[in-house]
Amino acid sequence: MIKPGRRFGRSVSYVVLVLIGVAGVAPFLYLLMLSFKSELQTFDVPPSLHFDWSTITANYGQVINENGYFTYVENSVIVTGISTLIALVLGVPAAYAFSRLRFRGSDNLAATILSFRFMPPVAVAIPIYLMIRYLGQVNTFPGLILPYVAFSLPLVVWIMIGFFDEIPREIDEAAMVDGLTRPRALLQVLLPLARPGMLVAATFGVIFIWNEFMVGLYIVNSQDKETIPIAASTLLTVESPINFNVAAAVGIFTVIPVLLFSIVVQRYIVRGITAGAVR
Amino acid sequence: MEATAAEAARTRRSRARLPTQGRGEALLLLGPCAVYLAAFSIFPLITSLVRSFEDYNTRTDTWRWVGVDNYTQLIHSPDFWTVVENTVLLTVVGVTIQVVLGTALALFFNQQLRGSAVVRGILILPMLLTPIVVGLMWRALLNPEWGLLNWLAVKVGIGQVGWLSDPNVALWTLVLVDSWQWTPFVFVIVYARLQALPQEVFEAGSVDGANWFQRTLYLTLPLLAPAIVFAAVFRAIDAFRTFDLVYGLTNGGPVEATTTLSFQAFQNGFEFQHYGYASAISYVMVIAAAIGITLLFKVVKVRRLETA
Repeated sequence: MIKPGRRFGRSVSYVVLVLIGVAGVAPFLYLLMLSFKSELQTFDVPPSLHFDWSTITANYGQVINENGYFTYVENSVIVTGISTLIALVLGVPAAYAFSRLRFRGSDNLAATILSFRFMPPVAVAIPIYLMIRYLGQVNTFPGLILPYVAFSLPLVVWIMIGFFDEIPREIDEAAMVDGLTRPRALLQVLLPLARPGMLVAATFGVIFIWNEFMVGLYIVNSQDKETIPIAASTLLTVESPINFNVAAAVGIFTVIPVLLFSIVVQRYIVRGITAGAVR
Repeated sequence: MEATAAEAARTRRSRARLPTQGRGEALLLLGPCAVYLAAFSIFPLITSLVRSFEDYNTRTDTWRWVGVDNYTQLIHSPDFWTVVENTVLLTVVGVTIQVVLGTALALFFNQQLRGSAVVRGILILPMLLTPIVVGLMWRALLNPEWGLLNWLAVKVGIGQVGWLSDPNVALWTLVLVDSWQWTPFVFVIVYARLQALPQEVFEAGSVDGANWFQRTLYLTLPLLAPAIVFAAVFRAIDAFRTFDLVYGLTNGGPVEATTTLSFQAFQNGFEFQHYGYASAISYVMVIAAAIGITLLFKVVKVRRLETA
């Protein structure tokens, strides 16, 4: 028997649940609503709802055609994909070594690598920019990839150490008794077992690199190399106001890949945050 | 019997200092990562330190040693202290709000409600968003003429608020938006911990006749404390270096009301090309971050973060 007081409490809980959902989703919906308006309609008070197909195609068409949105998507995918891959190739073996091998200073080395996760990027942004300029990689993909790998490596190592620690040592020891060297044991026996961990690490590498623009902003300065956030930041800054309806279309276009990605990898995200990742 | 002895010996061997062959393996596994970070993280960080004692000449593209001049200039600049104050306020107030709300959300979601999984999914979204877009969204919502929130504020009688244009308000708007984006982070960590707690503890509490409030205060919260502290320190280190939200939302203004240390360093470096001065600002941050990191690693063992 449920007491009336409890039933009342549950109703209140559901109201609160809906309110939380609304607070989370309202800004997205508002942006979507704005992107459906013509320039004049954005100024409507009280906020109005419009759904006029020609206006919508005009706004989104401008973003695709005039601003070359798909070039940015392509650039973002290339830069994010390659950077994340390199970070995994470098970071996974290192994490494995930290998990299994004990040598003098190993804990200090691990702590040093992990602490880079918290360093203010602005402290390295200028020297990195000057380095990339020195290497002649301004306005190239390697110019973006080189620093992005360095930024996401600590995260990958951090997450992977946790996952390797969960795999019993006996498994690699058995493999080594069978005659495999340690690197071979990692490659053939442990990597398949560590796959969920690698997906978590990759997810966070992708999120971070996909959104980075502080360093990229100065390394890249021509449209054909800009990633989505770099392009968005030049389009949408406070200093260069453009029409809010078109800006909103840029915003929605930027949200969509993130939205699709988050639906696919949601469980890895929760796992990763609790392992101390994000950003 | 023999097998266990052999096993024990193996374990001992693997924990002891490495034999020569093992050292080669460690080098092979760790070397590439260490070299890469040395080149693209440690080297730039050291360069920054050196540059913070130098002055950059834009015209001749040369550097001149000026000793601690940049730092003395920093200490005597009222701007710098305003910015320090902004950064500290944003960090302390923002993280406090996020910890309180995040923990409250975790406790709320601990009851079995239909549809709560969907809402939890929604809550994760803001964290993944490009900060530029977060800035755009909120600039629209808070627009003084036609923004949705502004219209609501007028409706409920608060009246027009200069969310982004009033120097006394803008920083708190930044705190608000930062909290919208990052409260879910605290929530996810605290909620995960809550889910991992053994149910018996709560059952024992109910049997003793404690009500929900008492159980939460004396049972749940103390058990959640490690996760809460972890989330708070983690979040504080991140909030302290806030850059992108400022860039997307206010560009540091009005005047300097929302300029953070990261943003000031960025402006001085990239916009004004005062590389030396910018390096000095960022080194103040590096030192503060180092203190934060030491604190964090005191709270959790580096190698066992998931049990935090």
